Amino acid sequence: MSEQRTLLCDTAQAVFAEAATAGLAPIEAAGFAQLLIAESNGGFGGDWGDVFAVLRIAGAKVPHLPVGELIIGGEISQPIGAFIRVAQAAGAMDAALAMSIDYTNTRQQFGKPLSKFQAVQQVLAVFATEAAAVNVAGAAAAAALDRANGDVDAALFEIAAAKLRTNQAIGQATAIAHQVHGAIGFTKDYDLHKLTGPLLNWRSDYGNDTHWAAVLGGIAAKLGGAGLWAEITRRG
Amino acid sequence: MQQSFSIFPFNPPGDSAALRADVRAFLSLHQAKLGVPNCWVVADAEFSRALGAAGFLGMVLPQSAGGHDRHPLERYIVIEELLAAGAPVGAHWIADRQTAPLILRYGSEEAKARYLPPICRGELYTCIGLSEPGAGSDLAAVRSTARLTTEGWRLSGQKIWTSGAHISHVMLALMRSEEGSERGAGLSQFLIPMDAPGVTIRPIIDMAGEHHFNEVFFDDVLLPEWALVGTRGAGWAQATAELALERSGPERYLSSHVLMTALIDFAGSEPEPRLRALIGELTAELWTLRQMSLSTAAKLAAGEDPMVEASMVKDLGNSFEQALPQRVQALVDCPSSRDDDVARLMRALLIAAPSFSLRGGTREIIRGIIARGLGLR
Ligand SMILES: Cc1cc2nc3c(=O)[nH]c(=O)nc-3n(C[C@H](O)[C@H](O)[C@H](O)COP(=O)(O)OP(=O)(O)OC[C@H]3O[C@@H](n4cnc5c(N)ncnc54)[C@H](O)[C@@H]3O)c2cc1C
Repeated sequence: MSEQRTLLCDTAQAVFAEAATAGLAPIEAAGFAQLLIAESNGGFGGDWGDVFAVLRIAGAKVPHLPVGELIIGGEISQPIGAFIRVAQAAGAMDAALAMSIDYTNTRQQFGKPLSKFQAVQQVLAVFATEAAAVNVAGAAAAAALDRANGDVDAALFEIAAAKLRTNQAIGQATAIAHQVHGAIGFTKDYDLHKLTGPLLNWRSDYGNDTHWAAVLGGIAAKLGGAGLWAEITRRG
Repeated sequence: MQQSFSIFPFNPPGDSAALRADVRAFLSLHQAKLGVPNCWVVADAEFSRALGAAGFLGMVLPQSAGGHDRHPLERYIVIEELLAAGAPVGAHWIADRQTAPLILRYGSEEAKARYLPPICRGELYTCIGLSEPGAGSDLAAVRSTARLTTEGWRLSGQKIWTSGAHISHVMLALMRSEEGSERGAGLSQFLIPMDAPGVTIRPIIDMAGEHHFNEVFFDDVLLPEWALVGTRGAGWAQATAELALERSGPERYLSSHVLMTALIDFAGSEPEPRLRALIGELTAELWTLRQMSLSTAAKLAAGEDPMVEASMVKDLGNSFEQALPQRVQALVDCPSSRDDDVARLMRALLIAAPSFSLRGGTREIIRGIIARGLGLR
């Protein structure tokens, strides 16, 4: 990560921690709405990789706040909205994974931590792999937006693939997170639902599975079998 | 913030598009041989020699060893193109992927001089001698022995499930070299010529009716001292390094790609909604796997250990490839009388698929490695 992005993420961590109880105000005050605005216009001059990095943290720390909508501003197109949700989901899934690891390392049953049971280890490995898929897909979609200078149509392939893959992952990952937490994870007082609730809703936002599968399937069918591989490798 | 996957940019040196075009031009000369399902276990010596002559084997080896001094990510581009096209790369696959790099790193001067140039020409093939009847997932239970005598090393014991032993010239085997040693200690790696006196190869026919793997017996096989690879007793660590090469490549998600290609061609440019949706889902999964695989290759090329990332790609790739023929079957009507590409490839992969999450480490073992990376064990 570049030094600039590291600093940006440090700021986001601190500001979003405050926003968790205070709401959007501190995020607005910190100038996150200027993230994508060029430096020459008085903005931060960030790129889509920066947006992804910030929204990952937002997904983990303030999943209930419309941080992506604030950063982009104005009317949000469906593909950009989908990208926002992918980035938030990447962070929320890694955060729910971290909670699940901590919890199973701590909670004891049958005289040992739950994490020492192989059945628990194996499902958490699946969870981690799904979270990884979302993080990699989101980062690659951000890179595509940067290559396209923010031209959404030019990055539609990656955004469609990333949102669809994210939707697939959310189902499995949230189910595992709740399963390993037992009843405590089903309570209002315990924080897991603050991640899994938004995650589940994000599947519907800005295009569900059927929508993005039709978009991507349509693109692939037009390309043909060999054409799809040529396109995937050409796009990087 | 904790991250489930460390992301490395895939930036090969040189002109990647030109390299890709070179591979595609090469492939277009061998069109009739392409479209093979599970193609990295299908051997075609003529094709391997042609690849060698074109400079696509031993790419990462130095020119002094017959190689081409190319970057590992350039090699990645070549192999993903070969796999996506379903090229019959099985003869040289193991030699090029893992045996040659291991010989280069740990082998004796004699072994390097004797084996590396013909591997780079696509003429010398190798097999992996790890599994034994009593040592499957529990590889440290290896019992085959090597004893150093005044004449050289003497080997006894048995390997099993050895892919391609019958077409290979040399096996890289993990043997117990220290008498009375236990588990990972006291193991060493050896290069064993398959025509050495005392080596017996017995075929095992797989459930598809094919002869890919074998049993290999060693009855007091005599090897020169230089057949030892690397440090005596350090075989466990070396074999682990070898497994990193074995598990991290794109073959763990691309060995069924020809079915996806056939499915899309069969669907035409305006498929009905359900078929279109399936193609969309498969494309999203394939694209994501590729991004994960590119990043893993970049991490390995940067000299870091991508054990967890490689395990994730293998696990996800295996599951994707195992589900693929069944998802096609569920949607596309393929009675046994049907014999076009989709039906033929689907049937072949339905039968091949159970092996995907066994070979190269089982699903459970791979998930155990991921769990260790998560700090759970
Ligand atoms: C097509 C194919 C090609 C192969 N080629 C080669 C080759 O070239 N060279 C070579 O050396 N080997 C080769 N193998 C062997 C392969 O490495 C082994 O099959 C694999 O390591 C598993 O060993 P096993 O078959 O003895 O199964 P076992 O180890 O007996 O396992 C059986 C089942 O039990 C599970 N299991 C075992 N231990 C545990 C545990 N601790 N926790 C949870 N579950 C467990 C496994 O995951 C598996 O599901 C090949 C296998 C196949 C199928």
